[in-house]
Amino acid sequence: MSAAPDSEIQHLIERARTGDTRAFEDLARREERALYRHALRIVGTTTDAEDVVQDALFSAWRSIASFQGLSFRAWLFRIATNRALDHLRARKRRPELPLDPPDDDDVTWAEPVAPGPDLPQLAGDQEALALVEEALGALPAEQRTAILLRDVEGFPYEEIAIITSVEIGTVKSRIHRGRLAVRNALIARGWRGPDG
Amino acid sequence: MTLQHPHAELSAYIDGALVPAAKAAVDGHLAACALCRAHVAQLRGTATLLQALPDPVPSRRLVPRLAGPAWLAPLRTVMTLASGTAVFLFIASSLVSNISFLAGGSATSAQKAGRDAAANVQAPTAAGPASSSTSAPPPAVSPNAARALGPTASPSLSPGGAAESGAAAVDAAKRSDRSTAAPGAPGAGAPQETGRFASSEPQRSPVLNPWLWLALAVISGAIAIALQRRLRSSV
Repeated sequence: MSAAPDSEIQHLIERARTGDTRAFEDLARREERALYRHALRIVGTTTDAEDVVQDALFSAWRSIASFQGLSFRAWLFRIATNRALDHLRARKRRPELPLDPPDDDDVTWAEPVAPGPDLPQLAGDQEALALVEEALGALPAEQRTAILLRDVEGFPYEEIAIITSVEIGTVKSRIHRGRLAVRNALIARGWRGPDG
Repeated sequence: MTLQHPHAELSAYIDGALVPAAKAAVDGHLAACALCRAHVAQLRGTATLLQALPDPVPSRRLVPRLAGPAWLAPLRTVMTLASGTAVFLFIASSLVSNISFLAGGSATSAQKAGRDAAANVQAPTAAGPASSSTSAPPPAVSPNAARALGPTASPSLSPGGAAESGAAAVDAAKRSDRSTAAPGAPGAGAPQETGRFASSEPQRSPVLNPWLWLALAVISGAIAIALQRRLRSSV
């Protein structure tokens, strides 16, 4: 996430809108890695994620004149998210690749059955983080996108609703169900929760 | 305590995304429900774990190279200006050459009349064989000289002798054609006279050639467009 002051970002945006390629490149470089990690966790492979981000940034440059309203970061994420989801949809049409799991409404609360590792132990454990990645990858794309935008990128619900073009109630539901599914996957591996 | 567990609201609760009334209701429930407090803690822990995920690094640069080399933009500007200037010069030189063509057309008529007059003057004085000779063609007199001879210098060019002078002019013109159609004709006078005649034609400068400017305009315009495309879409 960019630590530059808003006025500097705004100045770069204004320059980019008038066709200043260096200003746009400066803006894009600030979000390049964030867009990549977001796209990678949606599409799943590094090559596809790189292509998605590159396409998204080029598309953003071509439509920079129409940018308005959203924060620039949210605007870039909107373009990249749409590209990534389009990529997934195109991949779904290829039968050799697995489909996303259905967007299941019946997520229940699994309860820990035995004492397991607590949160600090899990957070420092690469294996546990790999487990979170795995649980994330098993989520429906829309839920995955929502919790990535919220928990990894820190967008507020209102901006997530704009980025993903859905109602805020849908965002709330997707985030909750996504988190619950990841939590259940951890519980199934013996996590007893942060409170012990 | 509210008996119904507000499960669906718990994620929004920890994100601070509930309206004040809903938040107060969840607060009231959590104060009395240990199960929901545990769920809130677990959801918070899950969010923390998601935030702690490693930050992957792309294997290549993902920002398109839009700017290109630093010299591209100035060169594009120079080429655009050059193209515009060449278009302007094309129009200007076209106008100038058209005007000079029109002026040259009337000048040619005057020169022809002068030549006719000179032929008329020299015809009676020239010897018969000389008049048929291609080595000393009377019409090859310099138009300037003919103009100098002009109507005032030639008493035979009175209005009354117009028909006679017209016939002589045709004859002189024929001889003129013969003399110019025989570049290898013997005699030192002919090339010299022809040279004098040719040197009296206005020499057109290449700068006044509109096609030169049109070609330059097209070339520099094409380069400017190519540079602009390179600047806009180099990925």
